[in-house]
Amino acid sequence: MTSMTANLLYLVFALGGAGMYLLLPKENKRQAIAGAVIGALAVVGLLTVLAARVILPDETSAFFYLFAAIAVLASSRVVTHPNPVYCAVYFVLVVIAVAALLVLQRAEFLAVALVLIYAGAILVTYLFVIMLAHQGGSPIYDRRSREPLLAVLAGFVLMAAVAGRAEDLPAPVSTSTSPVAVPTADVEGAAAQPVDSNTAAIGEAVMTRYVIVLEISGVLLLVAMVGAIALSRKNVPVERLAVPTKPIGHVGREVEPY
Amino acid sequence: MPGIAEYLILGAILFALGLVGFLSRRNLIVIFLSTEVMFQGVVINAVAFARLHHHMDGQVFALFLLVIAAVEAGLALGLVVLLYRRKGTLDAEAWSLMRG
Repeated sequence: MTSMTANLLYLVFALGGAGMYLLLPKENKRQAIAGAVIGALAVVGLLTVLAARVILPDETSAFFYLFAAIAVLASSRVVTHPNPVYCAVYFVLVVIAVAALLVLQRAEFLAVALVLIYAGAILVTYLFVIMLAHQGGSPIYDRRSREPLLAVLAGFVLMAAVAGRAEDLPAPVSTSTSPVAVPTADVEGAAAQPVDSNTAAIGEAVMTRYVIVLEISGVLLLVAMVGAIALSRKNVPVERLAVPTKPIGHVGREVEPY
Repeated sequence: MPGIAEYLILGAILFALGLVGFLSRRNLIVIFLSTEVMFQGVVINAVAFARLHHHMDGQVFALFLLVIAAVEAGLALGLVVLLYRRKGTLDAEAWSLMRG
């Protein structure tokens, strides 16, 4: 990546930051429309800058740009939509686009696991909580964001720092093979198993080198389950106040152990 | 064929978008949804590095990242429900007792 490309990327990120600033929930509908237009321009610019680097665009790169655009647009909507239900639904779109990108990178098992765990389990939990805590209308804290300019500036600084270093990375050596060159088993006869499949390689790595991590993550899930049950069984005193009025230190003592 | 840099930039963009949402939204649920967007960016980066190095570690890392995301979602949403039952609102500004 030449430094001209990096400068163009900075420009695109500044444009996207301006669009995000206008899109973040505020009391002004017209600003949001302008932000959407600027944001869409930024996405088109990003795809153009990235596509200019590929000399011979083929089928894979077309799919990459399609799903990259879907992921960026949908995640900007997750962040900016005033209704949390729509945020969750846009997040499903992000997950599906990311899963497609993982398939393009030959990580089929992870793509399927991502869709199963995120779109299947985590999103259902989120939707449950949204429905549980739903308030009529759209409350003020969904319509007004907190310090949007500073947040966008922080995101822009992060992006500029990352994009300036991306040019140091080498191109992938060969893109047509599986990420892991597992030697095919010398099985005599017909029972030649597909050893070099992605799932088999991940399973082999998880069950040999990372078996401790696997055990730890199992324990972690158990701890989280016990913790979530203990949290939600706690009998809390209801104080229906948007603004806390009690002195500091008072709140923690009032919670009765269940 | 897009190289490693494209995937890394895309992952960084998702991460930055999630960061902006995490910093600026006030709804507790949307704040945690923003962290999930950041997780997606990290997953893209990990898998891109796995392809770059022709090694499985990145994908295994992403797999354990899914576990952490599930743990985080369960615990965080339990906390959100607890906070909502206390105050009757999802506004993060209602919990600014530690602000100086």
